[in-house]
Amino acid sequence: MNRLQQLMTEAEAKGEVLAAGTTVLADTLSQSQGRFTRHWYAPLGGIWLTTAWPDILLPEFSRLLPFAVGLACCRAVRTYGLDARLKWVNDVLVQGKKIAGVLCNSVIRCGDQYHLLGIGLNANNQDFPQELNGIATSIVNKLGQQVGLAELTGRLLAELSWAIGLLHYDEEQALQERLFCEEGYSSLLLKNWRQLSDTPGQQIEYGFDIQEKPLYQATAIDIDPCGGLIMEFEDGTRVVEYSGEIIYY
Amino acid sequence: MASQQEIHFDKIISRYRADPYHYQDVHSLHTGKVRFIAEENSSVEGVSGEWQHKLGTALYAIERERNTKVITATINGTVASVCQNLDGQFVEAGEKLLTIRHPLKKKEIIEAILQEVLFLFRAPERARYYFSLDIQSRIDQKGARSVFIKPGDEIITMSLMKRDTPVYYSGEAGLLHSIYFKPGDSVSQGVPLIGICPEEKFPVVQKVITRVKAEWE
Repeated sequence: MNRLQQLMTEAEAKGEVLAAGTTVLADTLSQSQGRFTRHWYAPLGGIWLTTAWPDILLPEFSRLLPFAVGLACCRAVRTYGLDARLKWVNDVLVQGKKIAGVLCNSVIRCGDQYHLLGIGLNANNQDFPQELNGIATSIVNKLGQQVGLAELTGRLLAELSWAIGLLHYDEEQALQERLFCEEGYSSLLLKNWRQLSDTPGQQIEYGFDIQEKPLYQATAIDIDPCGGLIMEFEDGTRVVEYSGEIIYY
Repeated sequence: MASQQEIHFDKIISRYRADPYHYQDVHSLHTGKVRFIAEENSSVEGVSGEWQHKLGTALYAIERERNTKVITATINGTVASVCQNLDGQFVEAGEKLLTIRHPLKKKEIIEAILQEVLFLFRAPERARYYFSLDIQSRIDQKGARSVFIKPGDEIITMSLMKRDTPVYYSGEAGLLHSIYFKPGDSVSQGVPLIGICPEEKFPVVQKVITRVKAEWE
């Protein structure tokens, strides 16, 4: 993400803007950070990339970009025959263990907003630090053989291009129909996301920062047409969250 | 300047004394056919529960494309008026449908007065918010009311669908007088996040708070 911001600065100095879809790849990351103050473990053998996408979608669709990135990762992993599943919003799990994660940030440069779509995918890296043991896995761990990183990257970027394209198509359709998610517009992106998600029906714990401060437990019911997670408490009352994170228990 | 401000506050205080209510107009969420559920003069309850998960009293239903939604009250009070002529009609988005009269408590009156004199910076989207690291550390070190904010400062991070976006302040420069959210709180679009007080107005604002606290029964 730092390198992409550097590229934006260089483009600005030349009076240009960074091209949509510009992607920076790293072999390994040494001082990377996840959300909040979490460490982002990124050794050799994994796919670590960030794509810049300018803010050209309406807010109600740009907020679905994290879903698009998660869906792309999940579909890329599934091309290797693994039963990858999505946990709301965009964690990718194989048999309950995290194989890919997404970090989305936004930056504003010269009045233009960019979404930085960061992806970490455990591919040929086999060993994990103690805190990730039992909760993380990789393609090589599941397949029992290494995969070509260049080919995996190609598959991932193709899926990312497809998923973001689907989101732009959704926006076009919604504008034509003059029907948005709050009025029940059914997004094709979310339909595809839902098909690969194992979140509905799970007993979950929810929190804004689930590791530091879990807030409550509930049953995940579904996602609403705007991407919000519908959860039900034991007394039957429901709540919808549009931010935060969950763990299954 | 100070006396003009005091006269201005006197007028505001008198207004709340004469009519200590907040009138919340409820508009149609989107286009669709409206059917009223709440009746004029009926009491309504707002959302409740530890996680704001218990819905308020049903106010109206709106249907579009065979998709019906029941809209509920967000505050308690009495239904002051209902636009009965719209019952069963197709309405445009944002059309006023009814008004809820909410009785104000002393604390709410102070807040309402403050919101008239502070510059309010509102939530750009329905999301969860927390202060930027720099602002949070200045609040922790010196207290919120010592933190000076000017246009262009990165003040808050907006978190929506696990995407974090920096929010830059635009508005009058001044001291961070009021904070209307707790870090990590879910805030609806348009709801004030912070209230900024220009430095020169600060003593007058404090005086008004003290006066309302002392005078209001």
